[in-house]
Amino acid sequence: MDEDELFRAYRRTGDQALRNEIVERNLHIASILAKKFVGRGVEYDDLFQVASLALIKGVERFEPDKGLKFSTFITPTITGEIKNYFRDRSRLVHLPRKVSELRALARKEAEEELTRTGKKPSAAQLAARLGVTEEELLRAEEAGSVVSLDRTVDDDSENMSFYDVLASGGDAYENLENRDAVISALKELSGQERAVVNFRFGQELSQAETAKRMGVSQMYISRMERKILEKLRENLKKSMAE
Amino acid sequence: MRTLLELTMPLESGLMTTARLATGGVCSLAGLDLDTSEDCKVCLTESLLLLMHRGFSAVRVRFFEDEGLLVRAAGTGEIREAGEYPEDEISFALLGALNGSVTTAKKGGKLAEISFRFAK
Repeated sequence: MDEDELFRAYRRTGDQALRNEIVERNLHIASILAKKFVGRGVEYDDLFQVASLALIKGVERFEPDKGLKFSTFITPTITGEIKNYFRDRSRLVHLPRKVSELRALARKEAEEELTRTGKKPSAAQLAARLGVTEEELLRAEEAGSVVSLDRTVDDDSENMSFYDVLASGGDAYENLENRDAVISALKELSGQERAVVNFRFGQELSQAETAKRMGVSQMYISRMERKILEKLRENLKKSMAE
Repeated sequence: MRTLLELTMPLESGLMTTARLATGGVCSLAGLDLDTSEDCKVCLTESLLLLMHRGFSAVRVRFFEDEGLLVRAAGTGEIREAGEYPEDEISFALLGALNGSVTTAKKGGKLAEISFRFAK
């Protein structure tokens, strides 16, 4: 069956197997588009997941009789969803810390300016306001590889945390304090949550691989990861305040 | 309309990052915000890929400051044999999704120039 026939058959019957086949045949589009947006601070796996969900939604909305190819129809849909995801999602901790802080400050400043004047500031204006060079600001924006606080800490907390190896400003005491904060924040997690942290950030497995090892769906891992990050953020706040 | 930069380079995958970095710098000069700059970089990458797939061995990219940034990428150099690239359709759709002002020009019936503008 060609693509148009598949769509028509799916519209006629509502058969989920047909829908799945359409999605599988077009999953490469989700993959191609997800790759185009790598390097903006979100992992490929997450982008691919967002793109795949947009693909499934798009299959429901596509009308084959309108004469448009599905790939032409779905590309703007997926692109829109990815851009929305970038807008909505904020990350826990970025590396190195100075870069992370600069990125966050730049976003905040840009949003405030937009609220004040209805216009987003240029990189030059932002850099001037933040007291950094344009190059520093652009480099911070270019920094794509982002790692969470818990990256190298596993269940028994024997490993070094990232603060031990990637110091910002060389403040060893601060590093030690932060490491302790991470360790105590991790202690508050359940065994299953710590396993997810270990697989995802210790062993750097993808969400899909983590799901496979734990015998659950990727979606479950994704939701759990978000919950864990929220929990860690809260725990960190608490332990920093103590 | 002021020319900010003219970039002539071989159309090779290994130089895409260089082109993207140059585009980021020019976007900043033109006063574009950071999100728009990222979109501009994606558009340039797609344009270069499309020209590469049409057999051009080099490209001349001109960046103009014009109430934002106008980018013109024209295929140049020796013409190699063009291949069949199904993903080109996705590239065109992506360009359209990120920028509503994309225009193309043909030479000898073949796509030879892609332009787009991002407003401040």
